[in-house]
Amino acid sequence: MKKRKEVKPVEQDERKCIRDFEGLVTQLSDPDPQVRRWAARDLVEYGTEASTVLADQLLKESEKSVREAILTSMTFIGDSVTVEALVQCLRSEDALLRNEAIDVLKNLPEQVAPIMSGLLKDADGDVRIFAVNILEALRHPYVEQWLIEVIDRDPNVNVCATAVDLLAEVGTENALPSLLRLKDRFPEEPYIQFAVELALKRIRGE
Amino acid sequence: MAEITISEKDFQMFHEFFYKKTGIKFEKTKRYFVDKRLIDRIRARGFADFRSYFNFMRFQANGEEMQQLINVMTVNETYFFREEYQLKCMVFSLLPEIVGKKKIGSVVRIWSIPSSSGEEPYSIALYLLEYWPLIHSWDVEIVGSDIDTEMLKKAREGIYSPRSVQHVPPGLLKKYFKKVQDGCYQITEELRQSIEFTHVNLSDSADTKQYRNFDIIFSRNLLIYFDDLSRRQAADVFYDALNPGGYILLGHSESMSRISPIFKACKFPEAIVYQKPEGQNP
Repeated sequence: MKKRKEVKPVEQDERKCIRDFEGLVTQLSDPDPQVRRWAARDLVEYGTEASTVLADQLLKESEKSVREAILTSMTFIGDSVTVEALVQCLRSEDALLRNEAIDVLKNLPEQVAPIMSGLLKDADGDVRIFAVNILEALRHPYVEQWLIEVIDRDPNVNVCATAVDLLAEVGTENALPSLLRLKDRFPEEPYIQFAVELALKRIRGE
Repeated sequence: MAEITISEKDFQMFHEFFYKKTGIKFEKTKRYFVDKRLIDRIRARGFADFRSYFNFMRFQANGEEMQQLINVMTVNETYFFREEYQLKCMVFSLLPEIVGKKKIGSVVRIWSIPSSSGEEPYSIALYLLEYWPLIHSWDVEIVGSDIDTEMLKKAREGIYSPRSVQHVPPGLLKKYFKKVQDGCYQITEELRQSIEFTHVNLSDSADTKQYRNFDIIFSRNLLIYFDDLSRRQAADVFYDALNPGGYILLGHSESMSRISPIFKACKFPEAIVYQKPEGQNP
């Protein structure tokens, strides 16, 4: 075993490139994924100034470890540009990117809250399902209310089913009238009948 | 002495500040724990209420009081050979794989974070010396890091209570420790010299950038104190600190798979550990 004094610390900064904003933006397109990863990590220091370049890189980045670094930095920055870019990811055909965006948005309750009603009314039913997925772990007092609104008016059975599943976990007695109405709205849908019964039992503590 | 109380608003203010600085979150169930320690520090500094103390602590130029707070708020309960199956995993499963791919003459680097009062990095050293047959063929560097400066001081002193060493076999206790005052045991000078103890705040990227080229990281029962975002950030630090193919061991209740998808879960006979995939640049 080496003695303590023999242990040589790693050089303070082995990276040879300039770490200013322009330099980091350039390195975000470097062919070496490790260089891109470090650039993504360091860009967090520039806050909102870095949001757009990080969001652009996220959409074209293929290396998983670099995407993770970009997403962590975007979560820390968490500004409106970041949230808008992540919402656009919900419309992507890339399932991994969609899931990554959902995970990040779950961690931005204050920033997501003002746009949640709009997301839950999006013309695309899949986006509405992803919005309900975000609510699953969003620490916000309106979560139950948003879910109640979904099951009261959303015409898409899959969106409602996703919302009911979540209400079974987080719902209170406030959700009971809407759950009962939902059963009547989809009388021919066995999953809705089953999921609503389950939610009712859980909320009533039966 | 006038009674000092911490209101809900005070707690919220402190909680948000402490989280931003350290990544550590306190649930409401920890309220008593936090209040008691805060009040102790307010009294120790001679302030009459939370607000005046908080302003002093936040704006103190040398940050000494902030460090004192970190020291009292972090949990440091540990002992030698804790979760020993992971030490076995290191010796019997991880190291054979690691040295099998290393050039002869290169160094095996191990990082223990949080190292607390030193029990974990010293346990790693003891295990290597006693159970790894190749210990004399390879140079090994062990670094122990913690956010708590008092714990780092204790780790460097290497003095432990009988409770802390209760799982050390008697033969090893005799071989690597000497009895000191109050029934305590001090680990040998040679072992104390073999661990580099350093101060690290995982939430501070300037602090963590120099930690690289490790083959194994032990980070047990740390991430459970972090929220999702801080866990992600810690996972990024560990990823960049590891060599390609390097391993990280977490506490038995922790799972990297729930934090970040960039590590590969590996099942060994002794334990599940997480690996930075091969082929990723250091």
